[in-house]
Amino acid sequence: MIAVLLLVSLATFLIFYILPADPARAECGRLCTPSQLRDVSAFMGLNEPVWRQYLDFLAAIFAGRTYGSGQGAIVCSAPCLGYSFQQSRTVLSLIGQTLPVTASIALGAAVLWLLTGTAAGVVSALRRGTATDRAVMTTAIVGVSAPSYLVGLLAILLFGFKLNILPVSGYVSLLQSPGQWAFHLILPWCTLAFISAAIYGRLTRSQMLEALGEDYVRTARAKGLRERRVIVRHALRNVMIPIITMFGLDLGALLGGAVITEKVYSMYGLGALLIGAVQTTDLSTISGVTILAAVFVLVANFVVDLTYKLLDPRV
Amino acid sequence: MRKHIVLSGSAAIALTAVLAACGGANNASGPGTPTVAPAAKGGTLTILDSETTLTLDPAQSWSLAITSSGLLWRRLTTWKIAPTGAPEVVPDLATSDGTPSDGGRVWTYHLKSGIYFSNGQPITSYDVKYGIERTYAPALSGGLNYQKPLIAGTAGYPGPFSGKQLSSIVTPNSKTIVFHLNKPYGNWPWVVSTTSMAPVPEGKAPAATFGKDPVTSGPYAVQSYTPGTSAVLVRNKYWNSATDPNRSGGPSKIIFQLNQDPTVEAQTLIADGPNAQDAFGADFVPPAQLAQVESNPSAKARLVTSPASPLEYLAVNVQSPKLKNLKVRGALEYAINRQAVVVASGGPVAADPATTLITPGIVGRQPYDLYPAGSSGDPAKAKSLLAQAGVHKLTLTLATQNDPISTSISQAVQQAYSAAGINVQIKALSSNAFSALVTGNSASGYDLALSSWQPDFPSAMDNIEPLFASAMVGNGNYNISRLADPKVDALINRAEGTISGAAAGKIWAQADKAIMADAAVVPLVYNKNSFLRGSNVENFYIGEFPAYPVYTAASLKH
Repeated sequence: MIAVLLLVSLATFLIFYILPADPARAECGRLCTPSQLRDVSAFMGLNEPVWRQYLDFLAAIFAGRTYGSGQGAIVCSAPCLGYSFQQSRTVLSLIGQTLPVTASIALGAAVLWLLTGTAAGVVSALRRGTATDRAVMTTAIVGVSAPSYLVGLLAILLFGFKLNILPVSGYVSLLQSPGQWAFHLILPWCTLAFISAAIYGRLTRSQMLEALGEDYVRTARAKGLRERRVIVRHALRNVMIPIITMFGLDLGALLGGAVITEKVYSMYGLGALLIGAVQTTDLSTISGVTILAAVFVLVANFVVDLTYKLLDPRV
Repeated sequence: MRKHIVLSGSAAIALTAVLAACGGANNASGPGTPTVAPAAKGGTLTILDSETTLTLDPAQSWSLAITSSGLLWRRLTTWKIAPTGAPEVVPDLATSDGTPSDGGRVWTYHLKSGIYFSNGQPITSYDVKYGIERTYAPALSGGLNYQKPLIAGTAGYPGPFSGKQLSSIVTPNSKTIVFHLNKPYGNWPWVVSTTSMAPVPEGKAPAATFGKDPVTSGPYAVQSYTPGTSAVLVRNKYWNSATDPNRSGGPSKIIFQLNQDPTVEAQTLIADGPNAQDAFGADFVPPAQLAQVESNPSAKARLVTSPASPLEYLAVNVQSPKLKNLKVRGALEYAINRQAVVVASGGPVAADPATTLITPGIVGRQPYDLYPAGSSGDPAKAKSLLAQAGVHKLTLTLATQNDPISTSISQAVQQAYSAAGINVQIKALSSNAFSALVTGNSASGYDLALSSWQPDFPSAMDNIEPLFASAMVGNGNYNISRLADPKVDALINRAEGTISGAAAGKIWAQADKAIMADAAVVPLVYNKNSFLRGSNVENFYIGEFPAYPVYTAASLKH
């Protein structure tokens, strides 16, 4: 895991050094003389060779880092994931602010889409060919095809402006008001869940149909087990293995930033932070958030591996 | 919102921090005669803004004098922007715009009485000096900072945190401050109106922390600020309106709602629900919503559109081997179809054709057209110029940013030049890559570049010098035509050293024509910016310059 993180951080560094943009120029102000540019570059540590900057970055995680001295100093205490000169804050504090927003959106939406998606898939499979099946799958096709930006805007238009029953933007902290937190998140959750549930519904349906044709299901039925037990304990349990694999990866990726949803609903999460950093060549923030996103994907993979053991005793 | 590299005051701000763009036309209360009502006091004004951050350290601010930073900080001078009439520089903390001596190399200011910071401390000349010295600290780089190269003896100055002071800023007493410049500079009163010249309590503003909990001097103080979410400004109880006739200080509280999606923001203001009535948008209304507003009388009455202002232009890279011949560049001037560019920009509601450089509303502007070719261009004349130059096949690379409007304008340019037999290849880049290409030290990689510019303060200097002075080629600066014409440089130097605004304006007009005679730039259109307000907001207007609303005037009806 450490090796993967090192590789990700190294790759991020190198990619941004191959690109032509100069972070020091972005910080130098309107009329920037060559000597000012040199001073800014030296202050930010960008005049060092790339390998040295990378080592400084790694060292700061454990030992912290101070730019300048005295009243003009900027201190980034350990664990220092970098300092954003554009935002005048440490990357860790930026992540600390934005992560709860993204986590709130991602976890709520994930629970919603996993439950509704698999339930819809199971129902659809059990009622194959009926009007219910067709209705569920048609809705799923709409969900799979619709861009989240469009779904978000339509939801805002309907529930925010026409019906005026839900807030269209802003995030309220869970600690500040749990009720308002959930109230403000209803639309983002539903938008994300609508799109992902459609994919999960289709996958569950096809897996379920396959499982229902398997020998072990026929055997279970032949043993005289109740249908409900056959479906839940035997068929669905097997269906959940690929579903959980996908769910883990999706959730991990989503925690790295639900970019579009955050943007539409004016929530300042990791995705919005990352996009802003890319636009302003804020290398420290990009590196910090990318590494964090990589951690989420790795941890999610690890958790998925553990879940296999629960679902499938053969693993 | 468009994010061109340049847009001086306005656009770049969007990139970095503050501005919350806005701006509307001369109609404070919808179409019709511009009016300014006496500002009612009280209420909570909300400003919806797509920016995620506000820069709360004046040393690093990109904000215009009359937008967000104008609410928080006073400077020696500020701008007086009325719904009609030319913008003026007027005294703010100082008693006058400045008294020049030594031919404009030395400027003296005296402070008013009864001026205080938000912590109750009196504002002195030492605080003004300290605030300016801070801008030289590497930890506080960024922002407009026009003063940095102008103040004498600043080479290698590391800022006041080193314990060193600038000897070129003299403070004989707590009420007097004298600036020694390294050349005569007639625009100094405008330079001292910029946010980076704001006073900061001497010795009490560490680089790392001041911007998190700033001491302010304007009508408002910062109650709280969460990047990406909101900034809450409340009244600065030590602000004395008797010393500050240029800020209304109307609302009791101002809330910046940050990180707004411009489409949702415009929809919110069009709907004018209970939460939006006391709000205005800091972002340009997107083209789709602009069309929607046209068919909605209520919203249309609340739309404010600026006069034609920021210049959209095609920089002609005069150092490109293909464009060294003046006749070839002249062909580019004649072949352009400005009508098509207006359409690509969003139609007449969004842009007017431009044939000159200096922004309308700024002293020195003279309308003229050195290459008369009608609104749709003269491809025949262009072909004949190319033939005279002996050029039979011309293929040019046009660098542009990859946002929808820039792409659309680039295609209009491509089609217009195609009619004159000039093949244009569009090189669409991200804003960072575009900026690196056109402002870098190498002249290769592009022949033409599509860009946009609005001055940071209303002086023709800021239309001309950053874009066409030879010192502004490369090193990240914006002379992207890469023009180095001694005649233009001489005019710039002469105009800068001229103290009288009217006399300087005449020289700037000559510089405008000299640059056009070089055919180093094809002016395309002057853009208009549109903004929306809620139904309970009044005194929301845009003057002749800049193309943004005057935040410091906006108030709420009661």
